[in-house]
Parts: sequence; C-alpha cells; structure tokens
Amino acid sequence: MTALPHARVLALDELAPGLQACVEFEITAQQMQQFAELSGDFNPLHTDDAFARGKGFEGAVVYGALLVAKVSQLIGMRLPGRDSVWASVSLDFRKPLYVGQPAQVEGVVTEVSASTGMVALKLTVRAAGKLLAKGTAEVVLGR
Amino acid sequence: MSTDAVYAKLTEIFHDVFDDESIKVTPELAADDVDEWDSLSHIRLVLAIEKKFGLKFSAAEVGRLKNVGEFVALIESKMP
Repeated sequence: MTALPHARVLALDELAPGLQACVEFEITAQQMQQFAELSGDFNPLHTDDAFARGKGFEGAVVYGALLVAKVSQLIGMRLPGRDSVWASVSLDFRKPLYVGQPAQVEGVVTEVSASTGMVALKLTVRAAGKLLAKGTAEVVLGR
Repeated sequence: MSTDAVYAKLTEIFHDVFDDESIKVTPELAADDVDEWDSLSHIRLVLAIEKKFGLKFSAAEVGRLKNVGEFVALIESKMP
C-alpha cells in the first residue's frame, strides 16, 4: 500500500493573522472525468471542449467544486493541517480555470480565536497571476 | 450596562445563532435545553458574544461555564 502524504500539524498558538500557505495544482482530464462520475454532473460545459468553446470559453471549464477540493487540501494538509475541521467555506468564482492550467490556492490567516479554537482564513485562487476565485473559510482547531 | 441589558443582548444573539426566536434566555438555560446547541453552535455563540460585547475570553473561562447565568457573570466581570 502506498504511504499517504503527511499533514502538517499547527497548534493554535502557532497561528497568527498573516500566516499563509499555498497549494500549487493543475486539474487533469482524468480528474475531471472522475469528478463527473462522482458528482453526476455531466454538464458539457465541463466535459466537452467544443461545447464550452461555443459558449465563449477557451475549453472545458474546471468544476468549481474541484477548486473547493484544493481548498480542502490547503486546510487539511497545510493551514492549519491535521487537527482542523471546517466550519464554513465561501468562494466567489470570478474567472474560469481550464484543464491542465497551472493554478494555486492560497490561504491567509485573518483571525484566531483563543477562546474557541476558531481560525478564519482568506482564500484566493489564481492562475497566471489572475484572480479566479476568492473567499473565506472558518476552521476549528481540535485541542 | 445593567444585567437586564446583558440578557437582552444575549437573547438577540441566541435567536440569531440558533435561528429560533422562541428561545427564552434565562440564567438556568444550558446546552442540554436547546436541541441545536452542539459544539459548533457553542463556538458560534461564544464568538458572537465576544463580538457583540467587545470582549475576549480564554478557553479556560469558556470551558468551565455550565449555564447562561455563569456566562453573564463572566461577561459582567470583564465589562468596564
């Protein structure tokens, strides 16, 4: 069995506003197909390049939920990592991401609550320097 | 701020956090009395109270509270 990647472990007292982390990624055609099957969303905007071009896009548009999946990786593996549980997430999508296009999701800590263990993050997703999505997440850090 | 005013503010917060205007906020009210009062709702409640009253609590202070009356006493002990 292949060893799983290890999640970073950050304690509450190691977190402060301004702390940031980033995950680089690109979504493959295989991941798009797997997500279509998982979600049942076979909208041709996401599965058919020609159809998407006909609608004014450069090709099949990556599912927004896959950007959220990379936010999951950022939170669960990097910031704050292993001991965190999502309490909320919100993302506004501004521009499309295309299959095979390198992108990055960045999280920056904006608030840390000592009384509750709640950590607020500002999220941005960028590709080629352009903002694709922005939002926020709230994460509870287990004690 | 009077104790009545603290309860009035808390009532607004409880109604908002639990989305239930029927909750009567009394000193005896505790987590077992409100179906939706789980660990995440508790965090939302504490954060909302900190924000509304402009106060900060420690984990230890919040962790030993048993009911609303004790929370009110904590709030009043920190108010200028």
